[in-house]
Amino acid sequence: MTPSWPRQLRALLLKDLRLELRTRDTVVAMLLFSVVAMMIFQFAVGSRGDDLTDVAGGILWATLALTAVLGVGRSWVPEREQRVLDGILVAPIPRLVLLASKVGAIYAYLLVVEVIAVPLTALFFIRNGQAADLLLVGVVCLVANLGIAVLGSLLACLALFARARELLLPVLFLPSMLPVVIAAAGAVHSVAGGTNDLAEYRGYLLFLGVYAVIFGLVAYATYDHVFDD
Amino acid sequence: MRRFGERRAVDRVDVDLAAGECLAVLGPNGAGKSTLLRMVATLLRPDAGEITVCGARLPDEAGDARRAIGYLGHDPLVYLDLTARQNLELYADLYGLDDPRDRVDAALDRVGLLARSFDTARTFSRGMAQRLGLARALLHEPVLLLLDEPYAGLDAAGARLLDGVLADLGPERAAMMVTHEVERGIRLAGRVLVLRAGRPVLSEPTSEADGAAFRARYEELVA
Repeated sequence: MTPSWPRQLRALLLKDLRLELRTRDTVVAMLLFSVVAMMIFQFAVGSRGDDLTDVAGGILWATLALTAVLGVGRSWVPEREQRVLDGILVAPIPRLVLLASKVGAIYAYLLVVEVIAVPLTALFFIRNGQAADLLLVGVVCLVANLGIAVLGSLLACLALFARARELLLPVLFLPSMLPVVIAAAGAVHSVAGGTNDLAEYRGYLLFLGVYAVIFGLVAYATYDHVFDD
Repeated sequence: MRRFGERRAVDRVDVDLAAGECLAVLGPNGAGKSTLLRMVATLLRPDAGEITVCGARLPDEAGDARRAIGYLGHDPLVYLDLTARQNLELYADLYGLDDPRDRVDAALDRVGLLARSFDTARTFSRGMAQRLGLARALLHEPVLLLLDEPYAGLDAAGARLLDGVLADLGPERAAMMVTHEVERGIRLAGRVLVLRAGRPVLSEPTSEADGAAFRARYEELVA
């Protein structure tokens, strides 16, 4: 009786999504936070009538980075609050699968937020935007989320047994995410900022992909130790 | 051996648990009972010494050991916002069980929760949740049952059920139970280990002990 990891991964991911569907704690908070953060950024960087197209990518990704902190911080909350962690850790689940399930959950939460946040950005901050640009921004989200989810999941697992984890997590997570924010904002600007520079866009996408791969390798190298008591 | 800071929570404990055997681990608060159990359950790494579970050496072969272990603690270790069925189906997938639906039905029936299988665990009383925890711990038919104060919160029906499981372990299965209930411990277990300040002060078969006499001796040992 050897459990297969795809079955375990599917079960863990389904469990996280089911819990979220039932409680709606994390995604609703992330959505509200992202909308409020965008409004704050809008008031902070420009007055009514200003063209904010140049900073739209920055606003979007600064918002998403801060929103991701919420999602990552809550990724182990059901296990901790409902005191299930021992049951999960004592089950024969490869630690990499546990980590991957949280990557999947954080990725899904971010996608839901982006489904709202990207059109809002286009609506309020980008002048003369095209539908095709929106699709290209969607591709940026798909790639950038991977790096954010892998890094966030790794740090969330590392902080699982740490004291003051609520403080530790953002302090570690936000600076490590800075390259993603810069590259993703750059990628958005290169297609939606009026220049339509596809070569630059591809360069940023490549960077985001490499970032995800690097943190994927870091996670692979360290996963066995991140759940140590 | 396991340290927490400078304090040795478990030290010089040598336990050999054979198939078919039930060991009761007794001792006052802070004696190291739960720490010992958590080390065997792969939830804590020992700082020194060796632990082997069903031939798997910890921590290197923890994955193999975990397949053999059924663990029930003070908490039922189930998600309160999932239904009883969803909880057990999750664990059935995690343990790679064949025919998960039938196994889950049988497990829920065994603990008397089949009629409530579509209710979330949050709606359960403490005793019902602990019975669900018992079903979870037994779902994959573990070879080694590790129980940490398993009777805490169990209602009378659940306690009878657990008594039956421990009394009818069979020749293939073993159990290690941490408990404060001295009489129940020596009644159900074939052997008893008493810890004080992390060290063993008594290890002997319970057949040589009668309840009242052992209780007096135990009080003296842990005083």
